[in-house]
Amino acid sequence: MIIIVSLLVLAMLVAAVAALIYRDLLSAVIASCLVSLLASILFFFLQAPDVAMAEASIGAALVTAIFVIAIRRTKRYEE
Amino acid sequence: MSGTVILTLTGIITAGILLCLLRLLKGPTAPDRAVAMDTACTVTTALLVLLALFFKRSVYLDVALVYALLTFMGLVAIARYLERGI
Repeated sequence: MIIIVSLLVLAMLVAAVAALIYRDLLSAVIASCLVSLLASILFFFLQAPDVAMAEASIGAALVTAIFVIAIRRTKRYEE
Repeated sequence: MSGTVILTLTGIITAGILLCLLRLLKGPTAPDRAVAMDTACTVTTALLVLLALFFKRSVYLDVALVYALLTFMGLVAIARYLERGI
């Protein structure tokens, strides 16, 4: 169990660093969606299913949709 | 199923999530990353169902259901943007 949780935390760290360094903002949004997905799994491992459900609904769906709408209104690539 | 079998299967599914992360890091274009994210969402739903079996709580299945529905909505937003812009 502890090995699986460690692997998930490591994957979450890598995805967060990738979201920081991408110049393409849409790719950064997708990477941050993966970060919230892995955070939701970790909440589930800590036996807090309601927090996991809130994290999945807000982090993975709502924030992604709002960021995509914001990219559509502004521009996609960072200078 | 015994706990050891479920934990082994959980480890295999975690390896699948790591492979999706690899594709997300390597993918040259944004559609590659979107497909990697979609695959990670599907695999994660299976992982949540398996963990509900491991903890022996049927309430945890609702989390997997809500999860599968809502991440699909977020990915539909990304796919519509890639096709012609919301």
